[in-house]
Amino acid sequence: MKKDNYRFLDVIQETACAEFGSALEMLAACKSSNKESLAYGYFEHSKDEYFHTSTFLSLLSKAGRKYPAVIARKFRINANSLITKGYVSSEGYLIEKMPLKDFIAYVYTNELLAKQSFEKIFELVKKDEKDANQILKIMKDELRHHGMAEKYFLKYYPRLQPWQLKMYRIRETIKNKGRKFYDKNLKFLDQVLKPLYFFMAYLASRIILLIDINGFKREGINLMEIKPKSII
Amino acid sequence: MYLGLTGYNHESSAALVDKEGKLINYYREEVLSRIKGDKSFPKRSIKKILEFHNLTKSDIKSIAFYERPLTAFLTPLQVAAFNIPQSLPLISHQCRNFDKSSISCFLDLSKEFSGLEEKLIYLDHHLSHTLTALPYSQIQENLCSIVVDGFGDRSSTSICKVNDVYNINELWSCEYPVSLGLFYSAITDFLGFQVNEGEYKVMGLAAFGKKDSAVAKKVSDLIYWDHKNKKIISDMSYFKYHISPTDSFNNKLINLLGDPRNPFLSLLPEDDNFQHFADIAKGAQDKISEILCEIFKYAYSITRCKNFLFSGGVASNSAAISKIAELPFVDQIIVPPSPGDAGCSIGASYYAYLKNQKNLISNLPTPSIYPSRFNSNDQKLISKQIIASNFKLISSNSNDAIAKIVSLIKNGEIIGTVLNNAETGPRALGNRSLICDGLNKKAVKTLNTVIKNRSPFRPTAPCMKLSTAKKYYELRPELLGCYKYMNATCKCIDGSISNNFPTTHVDGTVRLQIIENDQILYKILTYLEKDNIDILANSSLNISGDPTSFDLIDGLMICSLRPLKYIFTDFGLLESLF
Repeated sequence: MKKDNYRFLDVIQETACAEFGSALEMLAACKSSNKESLAYGYFEHSKDEYFHTSTFLSLLSKAGRKYPAVIARKFRINANSLITKGYVSSEGYLIEKMPLKDFIAYVYTNELLAKQSFEKIFELVKKDEKDANQILKIMKDELRHHGMAEKYFLKYYPRLQPWQLKMYRIRETIKNKGRKFYDKNLKFLDQVLKPLYFFMAYLASRIILLIDINGFKREGINLMEIKPKSII
Repeated sequence: MYLGLTGYNHESSAALVDKEGKLINYYREEVLSRIKGDKSFPKRSIKKILEFHNLTKSDIKSIAFYERPLTAFLTPLQVAAFNIPQSLPLISHQCRNFDKSSISCFLDLSKEFSGLEEKLIYLDHHLSHTLTALPYSQIQENLCSIVVDGFGDRSSTSICKVNDVYNINELWSCEYPVSLGLFYSAITDFLGFQVNEGEYKVMGLAAFGKKDSAVAKKVSDLIYWDHKNKKIISDMSYFKYHISPTDSFNNKLINLLGDPRNPFLSLLPEDDNFQHFADIAKGAQDKISEILCEIFKYAYSITRCKNFLFSGGVASNSAAISKIAELPFVDQIIVPPSPGDAGCSIGASYYAYLKNQKNLISNLPTPSIYPSRFNSNDQKLISKQIIASNFKLISSNSNDAIAKIVSLIKNGEIIGTVLNNAETGPRALGNRSLICDGLNKKAVKTLNTVIKNRSPFRPTAPCMKLSTAKKYYELRPELLGCYKYMNATCKCIDGSISNNFPTTHVDGTVRLQIIENDQILYKILTYLEKDNIDILANSSLNISGDPTSFDLIDGLMICSLRPLKYIFTDFGLLESLF
């Protein structure tokens, strides 16, 4: 099977992770809200994102079945990979890190960007009517979320003008493109630097072999009496 | 107050023990972050504990971390260093992710909770496990503690003699990379399930396997107990977990067992390859049980103790525990409710407590079944509009709600629970559960496959009173403590109608929960017994692959995503209008 064929699995896997990450972000926002209407809005938003995740997992499952097990295994989704792939920051959820105003502007912008990404996915799945309809529905959801964020933003922050929201959008678009550029080049850089990493790993292994780990053995020792400050 | 922490290499959590040595709070990071198996620094858990008890940093006397970070970092690296060049990707990966290893605990504490890092102490990983299990035992001296997991901070299996809480001597250990836990995880991976998550599925699948099949025997030959030298021998040439950051087995295992399972293909008894994969699972399950029995025999021979503490991830293997209990010298086996690494923060917090006592302590108080503090009333206000739009409050009076629940269960309905304080996990024992009539085949099937989206080959656990359990099942006196936490399986009595109950697995076993009269499920069952329903099916309130629900909003979310119609909370019974 050609390597290009894996791209579809890759795209669907990444999108499932992104939607799952969004569901968790919105759930966290719901729990940290101080207004019941806002909590309700984020609850509904999170629910939509969970359904989107489920749609992409179904697409992944459907596509993954056609591949040999050794390939398909690589596209399983592990919740911890949301952090390692950067869909959820290891520093915490966005709502835990940024002011509500910025968070709403972030949602406003990113829902629109997500909709644009789904247009590309639509092109990939449009041969299958059922799949295409699901993606269309998700695109509508994203537009709705975008509109609701805008409405909320302008209602609760009336001093801010629509053009300021556009500035947020431009800023996020640039950041998003920057992220993609960084990710792409990081992967490239990773390949270029691989021999150097391996050489350094080799040197590290030589040093590690010099350490006598027999000292870590505990046979015959009262474990309660080992120094509590010791990291060995 | 004394904090215990876990994280980085395994699931993270935090536990709090008060000045009387009582466990007063415990959170798994995954239930707060909603990321299954979350192993990041447990900052949400620590923050929630500090906020819930209104603690300042000066109230915390000591914080214990569940492993020795440098040992945990260096041991696998040195094993990898012996396998250069194949292990270069792993060494490179480990060195580049140095900041994500447990060595960062000190720095993360100082960054997130500045000042607390000065109070940080460490203990051996397997000692954390032992101290987690110890308070659940009535007898706390002259015990044998057996810890079996994937990898601790140096060994994968150990035997300790617990003379008393201050005197815990290690007598034997099995050094990494030989590991029963990682062997089982590699087979889990081969069968297409997620490592550290799918091991339960392997255990469930094994019941369909044939022990005399050729492939089961091949799996069985991969690891064995060396009777002469009293050690576990594993043929590492089939595995890669010690040399690769991503793969747990290699082509040699594929050549031996055939292609691994495609994780996206269905796995139903009627599927072509089902028997083949079930036989592989059977080979691994039987081997684990056999080696564990040998370890227990050896432990008895060197300690002469008949009471055992059993912990570590492998102690979650409830099917193996029932086999061990058949050994003639065993009087009692105590398995904590959270035997895996997430439970270790409990042991670590006890360690911090013990290390700070001027007077010697002889016994640690038994922790509550529900130590994770949360009341759904805490989120009632913020959830007001969510509830008003999508739910109907059927009853706000507790007794009335129970009467309605009883009536609903009789009619084949499934109820979710989000009640005051949560279980340690991973098993839901009533407060974060999905329950239904355990004798109603349709309801149990709906709970398992429609609401939870679980693999159909995995059984649902039954829960009942002790008197009921005695009627239907061959209970083992050695495991009475385990049945309280769903930690062990038992067989149906030959010829009993229990063999046909929907909660009974294909091999005639169940992983039952025996409830006590202070639990809400006891009250519900007392009413149901009048209608000849003496068993409830009980499963955790979550969707397959997600962490168990923790708070009210998680519970409401499940109702919105799955066809779960009723949820029982601290402020009443809600009906979903989704």
